[in-house]
Amino acid sequence: MSGRGENPVAPAIRVTDLTVAYGDKTVLWDIDLEIPKGSMVAVVGPNGAGKTTLIKSIQGLLPRVAGVISIHGKPYEKQRKEVSYVPQRGSVDWDFPTSVVDTVKMGSYGDLGWIRRPGRKEHEKALGALEKVDMLEFAQRQISQLSGGQQQRVFLARALVQSASVYLLDEPFQGVDATTEKAIVTILKELVAGGKTVLAVHHDLNTVSEYYERIAILNVGLVASGRVEDVFNSENLMKAYGGKTSFFPERKAARRAV
Amino acid sequence: MLEFAVELFSDYTARTILLGAASLGVVSGVVGSYAVLRKQSLVGDVMSHAALPGIVLAFMIVGVKEQLPIFIGAALSAVLAVFVINLVTQNSRIKIDSAMGMALSVFFGLGLVLLTYVQRMPDANQAGLDKFLFGQAEALVEKDVLIIGLTGLFALLVVGLFWKEFKLLCFDPDFGGTMGFSMKSLDMLVTAVIVSAIVIGLQTVGVVLMSSMLIAPAVAARQWTGSMGSMVILAALIAAVSGVTGVALSAGFENIPTGPAVIVCVSVIAFFSVLFSPNGFFTLKFKDARSRREIKKDYVLKVLHDLALEHDDPGYAHSERLLALGSEKGFNVKKSLWALQTAGYVESVGEDNWRLTQSGIHEVKKLSPLEKGR
Ligand SMILES: Nc1ncnc2c1ncn2[C@@H]1O[C@H](COP(=O)(O)OP(=O)(O)OP(=O)(O)O)[C@@H](O)[C@H]1O
Ligand SMILES: [Mg+2]
Repeated sequence: MSGRGENPVAPAIRVTDLTVAYGDKTVLWDIDLEIPKGSMVAVVGPNGAGKTTLIKSIQGLLPRVAGVISIHGKPYEKQRKEVSYVPQRGSVDWDFPTSVVDTVKMGSYGDLGWIRRPGRKEHEKALGALEKVDMLEFAQRQISQLSGGQQQRVFLARALVQSASVYLLDEPFQGVDATTEKAIVTILKELVAGGKTVLAVHHDLNTVSEYYERIAILNVGLVASGRVEDVFNSENLMKAYGGKTSFFPERKAARRAV
Repeated sequence: MLEFAVELFSDYTARTILLGAASLGVVSGVVGSYAVLRKQSLVGDVMSHAALPGIVLAFMIVGVKEQLPIFIGAALSAVLAVFVINLVTQNSRIKIDSAMGMALSVFFGLGLVLLTYVQRMPDANQAGLDKFLFGQAEALVEKDVLIIGLTGLFALLVVGLFWKEFKLLCFDPDFGGTMGFSMKSLDMLVTAVIVSAIVIGLQTVGVVLMSSMLIAPAVAARQWTGSMGSMVILAALIAAVSGVTGVALSAGFENIPTGPAVIVCVSVIAFFSVLFSPNGFFTLKFKDARSRREIKKDYVLKVLHDLALEHDDPGYAHSERLLALGSEKGFNVKKSLWALQTAGYVESVGEDNWRLTQSGIHEVKKLSPLEKGR
């Protein structure tokens, strides 16, 4: 099922000359990035590299100094409905007085537009998404009573309700246990298998090769981007992380080959 | 006092005043919930204090104590304060809390200076402009209540229409932004609604205490419920009851301005809620103590069982002293044993010796911590 506004040849996401600054501090510098449709992409880089900033500025949440973002060949502003967002879990107040299912329903607000309230259809959809992330039994629970992994699942369910074709996730595996991580990866891989595009900020370099086909290595500038086999190597990681990295993809690959 | 209250409720003027206080309560309860949910309690405080110079200036310009100009003046200077705060924080290194503190003192100070000046002017009787400091609901007339009602209706209408958008704004504005809702416009709309609540509270509660009228009911309501809808409704109810009670109280005791009387009522409810609601301080302490007692009981039961197993006889009796060994100081084994005895799980045999009963043995089997956890 191709989305509403897809151009079959254009990349799912194209970022051209993106530069973003907070005050006088440049956080992203002249980023050019193309994400082909139907790929699963990791964004890696040290703390403060600008990964969150990249995800946010793709969606126009931050003022850009320069740059153009297009989704399936059209400007982002016309393609909002094609993009789903899973923010960093810590970015909201989980003590907020609302239930799990109502939180998931927020994913349908965009389609509803101004003023119209969610109804039965939206409720069913939210329950469906909760079932996908294996959280159906928690539907009526207060969000303040969820564990970190459950919070992450709720956020994912909310994004699923948006039924977009491009998913942007900010550290979806942060502070979740191995079971939840596997469950989330499975869902993301299903999305990709269905022709969707997934871009996720990722911190654990050990699992990059296992989870993703493509990678973008970032540190203010874009160090490298492409297929994991081609660009996920110690040279590029050294460039991004400085001498601080002790992770060498080549060795791991060699070990696996033995 | 009681006679007085009866008189108050049967008198037409009094009913008008009480109606005004109740409407004000409903509106500030609803609107204040948003200030609390957005963690912007301080903004309400700044805005209500900042209304003062606008009130006095409007009076100076118009020359009579006319309602509408005063409301507009109040609203304008409250909004101006917010605007100044944004301007300062966006263009300097000054943090938001310092900026708010400065805005509050500068605006309120200016207001007081102007007020003093106006009151020295010879002709005008100044018709008690100082009533706006602490509120004087007795001065409310039918026309005032009408304006309060209409402004309040506007605020409630906005909240009703943009319910889901405001929820996004409070919970996850970034996410709302990605769905194409203009968070900036919504932010302004919420500010407008808060300002209208402040404006209609000027006569009844006054600028000094108006922020408590916004914040306290919402804080109290939040303690009792986990749903935003019921929180808003409950806050409205709490504020309305406090408004009416406060006005009645202040009329009963001469010389108490209505503002403080209303706020005392709200504060009592808020205080009670924070201490005794299901998530309140004492309730949690009590629950804590109770679950600790339960766990201790289970623990003693388990120890009794484990020791008995060593003798290959689930009903083997042990001395209380043996049971107390290895457990922490202050762990009153006897208390737990008594409780278990009452439940029929253990029985005492001879002097201070205890053993499991049949139902106790049965109970131990259910004691897997995983089973209890869910
Ligand atoms: N609101 C802000 N104001 C000023 N500077 C900011 C702001 N948000 C982020 N920054 C700065 O921008 C840089 C990039 O931040 P960003 O959050 O995008 O990093 P990140 O790669 O997501 O880091 P992390 O791995 O820690 O999540 C950091 O140096 C940070 O200090
Ligand atoms: Mg980040």
